Amino acid sequence: MNSHSATFAADQPGAARVRAGDLLAVDEAALIRAAQAGDHDAFERLVRNYDQSVLKLAMNLLRSPDDAYDVYQEAFLRVYKNINSFRFDCSFHTWLYRIVTNLCLDQLRKRKVRKTEPAVVETPEGPIDRLETTPEHRPHADPQRALLSTEIKRKIEDTLSGMSARERMVFEMRHYQGMRLRAIGDVLGTSEEAAKNCLFRATQKMRSALGDLI
Amino acid sequence: MNCEEARQFMLLAGYGELSFEEEEALELHVASCPGCQSERAGYVSMESLLAQAELNPPPGLLARCRRDLAVRIGEQSSPARRFAFSALWRRWVVHPPMWLRPAGAFAMLAIGFFAARFVPDTSLFAQFAGPAEPASVARVRLVNAAESGQVRVLYDEVRQRELTGSLQDDRIRSMLISAAADPSDPGLRVDTMDLLKNHCERDEVRQVLLHALRNDPNSGVRLKALDGLKAYAREPETLQALAEVVQRDDNPGVRVQAIDLLLQNREPEVVGLLQELLRREENSYIRSRSQKALSEMKASIDTF
Ligand SMILES: [Zn+2]
Repeated sequence: MNSHSATFAADQPGAARVRAGDLLAVDEAALIRAAQAGDHDAFERLVRNYDQSVLKLAMNLLRSPDDAYDVYQEAFLRVYKNINSFRFDCSFHTWLYRIVTNLCLDQLRKRKVRKTEPAVVETPEGPIDRLETTPEHRPHADPQRALLSTEIKRKIEDTLSGMSARERMVFEMRHYQGMRLRAIGDVLGTSEEAAKNCLFRATQKMRSALGDLI
Repeated sequence: MNCEEARQFMLLAGYGELSFEEEEALELHVASCPGCQSERAGYVSMESLLAQAELNPPPGLLARCRRDLAVRIGEQSSPARRFAFSALWRRWVVHPPMWLRPAGAFAMLAIGFFAARFVPDTSLFAQFAGPAEPASVARVRLVNAAESGQVRVLYDEVRQRELTGSLQDDRIRSMLISAAADPSDPGLRVDTMDLLKNHCERDEVRQVLLHALRNDPNSGVRLKALDGLKAYAREPETLQALAEVVQRDDNPGVRVQAIDLLLQNREPEVVGLLQELLRREENSYIRSRSQKALSEMKASIDTF
């Protein structure tokens, strides 16, 4: 038997492997129960259902691949260690996002304390703003657009880092994850109304920061 | 509805959070109020600006996260569970994860390429694999004893495979792209970059090179990436990356290459960068190169 067929043999019905396309059809509660019972396939599938959006949220909140990596690792390790304490009193998504947002909040608060801006890198020549690396004057059409978009990105990043950690969290979950206010409230352990007010504040800040560009 | 209410509702409407009646009342107000119309236009353009600032995780990050998580979970579990987790971990690599999905089932052909490198605890399996048989046990599925005293074990195995093909082959390219992000092996990354750099006409390959140029800790890898991006030095994205490298890379060799590439195209917008560079750069080659280029370019710009 060549190893190609050997590999396929591992996937025969006995293995009961669920293909990616079937993932949506799998009942999540059943997956969670299986993971709680020690089924590693089930745990793997649970992770894979959510890990892309977790990584993206962490990436947008923290604006650093290294920090996003750390949050990913820590969050899913916690899920692994605590899966048995999941009691189905909220959705798995909410439970997972509570863990993720708490880790991100910690990280953002640490940053505020350290007063380091993520956009600034330390170099032997002193700190350099990563976003200031484009030349000031760019007469060509394309570079001009690139400059404008660099400027916009910087304004957005500045505004985000000027927000409170919670405002930022609500704002990002709404804008980049498309979550409903109720779900955001659940994740942050607050009411829909409070999440809404927080979002209003954050959006107002963003609008006035981008005022001359829109 | 007054303007203040309308503006609150406007925000919620953009988020799909309004009831049918609320949305009707909002529309009615906005239709007759020019102030609120321009307010709404402002929200719309804010949304599009925000979309531009959205960050996507760099290529390979998700794969690295998944791989390392499986290893750490393996470390967490008891020895008995570790065995199973090695298997779990293998399957994360063996079975095409998200970034290999286009390659579909065929990606499995190349499992050896990764399995041999990524398995956390190969000694565990060594006893199963005879010297002539490179296959190793990925997972034991069934153990039962017959009355004769014989034991029957059913297991899956993972074997090193070779995959041969051109860079036009999706499977080969997917393999290379993830190998380019393997943090454990700079040598592999250099070799991979060397292969990928001749295929920059593909956007996915160019993105990998740009990311490596900015972030790879190994200067050899960064130099290969630079080499590959030569033909694209006029593109805004590459231009931006080159500007960053010239200012930030800690390796003078990489900075020299980057500045040569930047200057080769004589884009007027490089002037500002050169001026900035002259204020800080200590490397004499880069200084003199910038100085010379700057005076030449100033002369030519003045004639416009
Ligand atoms: Zn009005």
